[in-house]
Amino acid sequence: MKRLNAILSKVLGIEPDLITDKTSPDNVESWDSFNGLMLVSELEKGFNVKFTMEEVVSVKNVKDIKESLRKHGVKLDG
Amino acid sequence: MERIKEMISSRKIEGIADYINLYKDIGQKLEKEQPKNAKTIKIAVLSSFTTKGIKEILFIKCCEIGCLPELHIGEYNQYSQEILDKNSSLYKFKPNLVIIFIDAMAILGEQYFSPYQISDKDRKEWHDEKLKEIISLIKKIKENSSAKILLHNFQVPLHSPLGILENKQKFGFIESVEALNANLRDTFKNDTQVFVFDYDSFSSRIGKESIMDCKMYYLGDIKLDWQHVPELCKEYMAYIKPMASMARKCIVLDLDNTLWGGIIGEDGVEGIKLGPEPEGKPFLEFQKYLLSLFDRGVILAINSKNNMDEALAVFQKHPYMILKEENFAAMQINWNDKISNMKAIAEEINIGTDSLVFIDDDKLSREMIRKAMPEVLVVDLPDDPSLYLKTLIGINDFNTLQITAEDREKGKMYAEHRKRKEFQKAATDITEYLEGLGSVVTIEKANSFNNQRISQLTQKTNQFNMTARRYMNEDIRQFSKNDKFLVVSVRVEDKFGDNGITGAAIVEKSSSQWRIDTFLLSCRVIGRRIEESLLAYIVKEAKKAKAKTLIGEFLPTKKNIPAKGFYKNNGFRLMKTDNEKEEWAYDLGKEYASPGFIKVIVKH
Repeated sequence: MKRLNAILSKVLGIEPDLITDKTSPDNVESWDSFNGLMLVSELEKGFNVKFTMEEVVSVKNVKDIKESLRKHGVKLDG
Repeated sequence: MERIKEMISSRKIEGIADYINLYKDIGQKLEKEQPKNAKTIKIAVLSSFTTKGIKEILFIKCCEIGCLPELHIGEYNQYSQEILDKNSSLYKFKPNLVIIFIDAMAILGEQYFSPYQISDKDRKEWHDEKLKEIISLIKKIKENSSAKILLHNFQVPLHSPLGILENKQKFGFIESVEALNANLRDTFKNDTQVFVFDYDSFSSRIGKESIMDCKMYYLGDIKLDWQHVPELCKEYMAYIKPMASMARKCIVLDLDNTLWGGIIGEDGVEGIKLGPEPEGKPFLEFQKYLLSLFDRGVILAINSKNNMDEALAVFQKHPYMILKEENFAAMQINWNDKISNMKAIAEEINIGTDSLVFIDDDKLSREMIRKAMPEVLVVDLPDDPSLYLKTLIGINDFNTLQITAEDREKGKMYAEHRKRKEFQKAATDITEYLEGLGSVVTIEKANSFNNQRISQLTQKTNQFNMTARRYMNEDIRQFSKNDKFLVVSVRVEDKFGDNGITGAAIVEKSSSQWRIDTFLLSCRVIGRRIEESLLAYIVKEAKKAKAKTLIGEFLPTKKNIPAKGFYKNNGFRLMKTDNEKEEWAYDLGKEYASPGFIKVIVKH
């Protein structure tokens, strides 16, 4: 989980401790479309996965990101 | 600026987010404190798609070389409007460099997907029209700005609905893009303001299959994957470095395990690895490429811990030694520390240490130089010699925006300079040295062959330059066409070689009085009394025209102290001093004696 929060924090410029499953473009101002794509790029690099376009479009919050990562076989423990 | 450079080098940069965060942090730092005397450059980027990331990364790359840029990123796909409207924000920005990045998909439009819905004839027309369009856009920029223009060519597509028959067409789809690229190249071949950036070659290097992340293209119209933007910006830097006068001039090389495999002190001339066999070939080819850089004007020098005679034996005796002693402008082969050797090299060649590139296989030496002399470019030579050549080819710091015949010969000239110095050490006094040098001075009126070089000399000569007036090519052309002016170049040869055109003078003529507007000599030929031969020529010409007085001006700058006493020591008297500008007069009734040991050839 640490790695995910570090990436979210780096791209969106928010404190890692403040990130929850509910963190989303609706409650984080910096999460605009550009940063959204940057997040995709950093997550793909950080976890060595490739998302489908469908997955990217349907992400609504951090919980969705976690689910997508799990689907790609990423273990997000701790 | 140094602190910003440190800030960049201390960061771990892995992806686009790191660049963007670093960019923000530098921005905050700059708000608190603007660096003093930092070089700046104004760069405008116009593109046909989303190029987010270029701004931040290019900014950081410029800072890395100590240049603080200002960037203007054109609105998404608004490049035509910005170029055509002379009141646009592009021209208000007053750029020094305009980068135009139009991608193949944008210019091809529907044709990109369905090329054969139009005939070959229509395609030819399309090609002609697009070419005309681009050329007229460039013309428009040139009308409104003196900025250098970096124009991308187009990535040649990999696909064709005709498949294997694609190249059987009269004027096929792929061919039309290739032709556009070839015609752009040819159009601007002799244009010193416009450079065509070979984006097709860039994308081949990256790999056309992976240059775009398809998902990102559909989601954000991003046609160049972010992970490749740093590489693109690195290529832009090849143009920006010479524009910001940040290009490098000299490669300083280690010997053992750098120019050859093994250690000469232990393995001997027969034992070192250098030659056509697998282990020697990386060094052989590394040397071949160094020689080709030397041939384009890059200066070479050696900084090595070795016994001089043992090292020289390799140069003299090894059958596969490509580089010879005469290719090196300085050879510091001794047991001194490498830092003092670096300084000695810079002093000997008479260039700044910020012009040096250091190549050494030893990590410790590299770290030492990097710490003690941060202005030196230290190359991270890989441990594996098979990667040496690739690393050398990747250095893009030797570029110049134009190349004159003198530039090409520069490496050679500096090497000859070293021999001259050795000869000077051997001579007992200066007159004996100068006489033995056998200097031949060729004075030639400005013409289409030497115009560019004369202009370059007025811009680059700082030390022996009486007035330091800087002139462009066009100015020199105007002077030389005007009967009221005498413009000459000075070429200096001696027994060690040809120094090329290393001096120039511009004289304004009127019936009774001639005025020397510009009088300069490159530092390479200072101290050889060449200036006296040039002055003697001007005196003679003025006398022929029955002028009475020759006026010489001296405008002091920070660097032209070597020129200060020249008129005083050559029979001129001070007429007046006006705002630091000294005006000296020579009575043309007097004889002027120039040194007899210099042979002067006049070509009119």
